[in-house]
Amino acid sequence: MDRDSPLSAEKDVIVDANIFIAIGDPSNPQFSQFRRAVQEADVMLKLPQRVIGELGGRDTTRVQAALDEGWAEIIEAPDPTDGDAVAASDIARRTIADKTEKPEHEVEKTDTILAGLAIQYIRNRTTPGVIVLTDDKPAREGIQNAITVQGYTDSIQVYGLSDIIGDEPGGSLRLI
Amino acid sequence: MNHYPDPPNPQPDGGTTALDAPPIEILNEDILKPELLAQNAPGLETLVKLLNQPALARVYIYICYWGPVSPPEVMDELDLSKSTAYEYVDRLVKLGFIERNESTRPQQLTAEPVILVEQHVPIIITPTVLHAFALKEIDEDVEYFVDRHGIGKLVAALRGAGLHYAGKMTQRMIANEIDVRDTEAMMIIYALVPALAVGREHDPYFDYLFPDVQDEMDLPDLEEQETTPAQPDREE
Repeated sequence: MDRDSPLSAEKDVIVDANIFIAIGDPSNPQFSQFRRAVQEADVMLKLPQRVIGELGGRDTTRVQAALDEGWAEIIEAPDPTDGDAVAASDIARRTIADKTEKPEHEVEKTDTILAGLAIQYIRNRTTPGVIVLTDDKPAREGIQNAITVQGYTDSIQVYGLSDIIGDEPGGSLRLI
Repeated sequence: MNHYPDPPNPQPDGGTTALDAPPIEILNEDILKPELLAQNAPGLETLVKLLNQPALARVYIYICYWGPVSPPEVMDELDLSKSTAYEYVDRLVKLGFIERNESTRPQQLTAEPVILVEQHVPIIITPTVLHAFALKEIDEDVEYFVDRHGIGKLVAALRGAGLHYAGKMTQRMIANEIDVRDTEAMMIIYALVPALAVGREHDPYFDYLFPDVQDEMDLPDLEEQETTPAQPDREE
């Protein structure tokens, strides 16, 4: 199945942990589809240390497989002194709180730092664009809004897993 | 005035290892009649049997949602051996969970949906909950989660997953609330999609678990998605 992947080697791709969890075990067709899309675009996925958090059980395998196979790497948390990045994280937090109708302090910091990190990457690096990949809808809306408000829509795009591998999961969904 | 008895097993932080004690007024002579207690006891016992055996819960949920079905269909669609399929069907009939109509050939099996709600603890058991638990048989992520965190947290994760797909919670908020690691929460939220997608269409008690967001979840459309088995016929 050929489709236009938004991934490209000219862009830095920052990834949330949920993408690795959503694709399932390395034996899963979605894992292979995703890996193929990443490798065909010649991209090294950037996984912020903080978004992986504490891994421990079955969930470890999926992240570790990508690291071991060399199509993902771990990067540091954003610089807390970058004003635009901090502002972007704040906007993301407010948007997520608003969408979920929760107080701002209940929004996990980890869900907001992807917005700050994307802006920091655009400013500090020579790459012409940044892509943020997350499969969490409220978090995605928060990041998107931060990018829009801060005026980075031309250089930063936010996508979910289905934008990369399509809506049809590999094979049939087992219902029971 | 304090109507609550002192909690047993007090902890250093002032909490207790026991479930919250409900107000004593909810019990009265009428409810405590031995006759009534005797009537309800077998229902509780049999439900506990389902909650201890995901393989049995899986067969029950299949018959409940897909029924009327024949024993060979149970065998084929759930990928069970003939002896296992008949054994589970026999046990479910004995427990009173399913009905066997032997006037047709092959015999037809049907099951009524179960519901148990205890608001004070709270505990809620519906077909969607049993389905989530039954997924333990076929999904290693569900198996991992239940073995590690228990069925209580599975129910909490199920409710959280529904809220997530309705856009009301991030995956990390759910991890926080149910006190599991972020990536564990993500894993179970994805794994529970079949229980939510089928339950939304076929569980008559779905709105007991999701009174607020039952129509708002962004889940695979079973009409368009290829599934195994094919999705149940709609209720006529």
